[in-house]
Amino acid sequence: MKVVELIDVYKIYSTEYYEVRALDGVSMDVEDGEFVVIMGPSGSGKSTLLNLIGCLDKPSEGEVLINGVETSNLNDNQLTELRRDTIGFIFQTYNLIPTLTALENVELPMIFKGLGREEREGRAKELLRSVGLEKEMNRKPNEMSGGQQQRVAIARALANNPKILLCDEPTGNLDTKSGEQVMEIIRHQNEELGVTVILVTHDPSLAKYGDRVIRLRDGKIESVEHVS
Amino acid sequence: MFLELAKRNLQRAKVRSLLAVIGILIGVMAVSAIGIFGESLKAAVVQNFEDVANELIVSPNFQEGYKYLEEKDINRIKKLPNVAEAIAIKSDSLLIETKKKKSYAVVYAMDEKDVEEMFEAEKGSIRLKSSCVVGKRLAEFAEIRVNSKITIGGREFRVAAILEDTGARFDINPNSAIILSPEDFEKVSDVGYTMLIVKAESLEKVDDVKNEIEEKINIRDEKVVVFDLKIILERIDEAFSQINVFLMAIASVSLLVAGVSILNIMLMSTIERTKEIGIMRAIGAYRSTILKIFLMEALILGLIGSGIGSVLSVVGGYLIDLAILQDASYVFQLSTLLYIALGFCIGVFVSVVSGLYPAWKASRLEPIEALRYE
Repeated sequence: MKVVELIDVYKIYSTEYYEVRALDGVSMDVEDGEFVVIMGPSGSGKSTLLNLIGCLDKPSEGEVLINGVETSNLNDNQLTELRRDTIGFIFQTYNLIPTLTALENVELPMIFKGLGREEREGRAKELLRSVGLEKEMNRKPNEMSGGQQQRVAIARALANNPKILLCDEPTGNLDTKSGEQVMEIIRHQNEELGVTVILVTHDPSLAKYGDRVIRLRDGKIESVEHVS
Repeated sequence: MFLELAKRNLQRAKVRSLLAVIGILIGVMAVSAIGIFGESLKAAVVQNFEDVANELIVSPNFQEGYKYLEEKDINRIKKLPNVAEAIAIKSDSLLIETKKKKSYAVVYAMDEKDVEEMFEAEKGSIRLKSSCVVGKRLAEFAEIRVNSKITIGGREFRVAAILEDTGARFDINPNSAIILSPEDFEKVSDVGYTMLIVKAESLEKVDDVKNEIEEKINIRDEKVVVFDLKIILERIDEAFSQINVFLMAIASVSLLVAGVSILNIMLMSTIERTKEIGIMRAIGAYRSTILKIFLMEALILGLIGSGIGSVLSVVGGYLIDLAILQDASYVFQLSTLLYIALGFCIGVFVSVVSGLYPAWKASRLEPIEALRYE
């Protein structure tokens, strides 16, 4: 079953003086439970692609379908609910709320979903334990290392049991050891729990985690290779 | 949690939040304290008039050719329901002579008990049997002392008392006058009754008494003119309310400034937290959720500022009352305390309204644009 489908997608940024084709007619799909790695040099359009799949941005042309639903037909609230319930985001710069503790950061998507305190607190603790942060639950982001912050971000991304995990350079700001820890957690989610993972990176060493590697260049798919 | 989030965001920029709170606090304090003072001033003035507010003045209708009130009409009025008391007064302008001065003065004819009820003696005691009492200003002008003798309309009377200064009155003003008993008055003047002071049983009965008098006395001709002093009380109340609104409007300028400062602070906060807004939108916050969080921050600032401002306004109102009216008891009246609630509500309202635009702006941010913001 296709959980993500892009049909002839264009993303064009135009100003008065120039036009940039960040995505230039991309068509692709991702199967349920698949681990897809998207690679390419800077400016190839990988982050733009991820933002479109994550419903954070809209294509200039073409269609993005999530779970078979055409996202162009959804209003702002419906897109918000899709992000909240179906998609989990992991960013390169962690993007935690600095005023909240690790526990509260993980609780936040569940608050937006309207879950009760007891339920969300229990789940947030469980998630933080699963990423090895049971002792750091009450720390704020500035009191944690980069690796710890990224693990909090993973726990937050998993808060509402998403079907799809979108990872934008998740190890980009981490040392090798922390990077490996983070990738193991993501792999665990994919292999053990069947979460579909789409990971964007320019680090070739991460290609080994994927079932499929899609290479982008100048906004177009350059190659698709299946990893055995 | 949203409340907690709003609280922590405010704590993040402590000095800025504190300044916003101080702005609101000053504004609320100014509005409420001025309101308290205005209401106290009104209460003080009204209290001075309340003693005479249930009075009606019945005068002959000069325009219709009636020079004096008829005795039978006076008696009928005295017997009307809801009339507590009716004091008939004769007055004439007569020549008076003391050892040193000779001039004309108003002379009233009143019963001794009515004089005792209405006025206080500053010197001597009120007795009208072959004696007279003299108003304070006339006594000063003509150098009249208690027990001295004065000639009124050619007859000599002993001065039994000098009256206290009564201030401004709407019925009779004895400050520059002399009061004689009706019997003695008849010996020096032949004028009839020129005024009847009617006291209604209560302020609420004034209108009934007025209607009764007009119905019973002015049956065929408009013989008398009835003027109720309640109307003065109403006019005073109205005038002071208007003055109070004006004063509060001036004080509101400071609240307006505070509102602008909140607007500024919240706008800055929106810009600073653009990325955070993007994160929240990305992980499932509706636009309305962002709006709610920002409005809650404005509400918290408003509640704290207005709360402290309200407490301080009692102190401010108390001090202003004490300094200007020399009496701070009015501060604790219900009508006065309402101004504290009003100031509080205006403060919170201004804060929330000031937070509306920044909150709306924050909620309109596109998630991707907000996430890209550095």
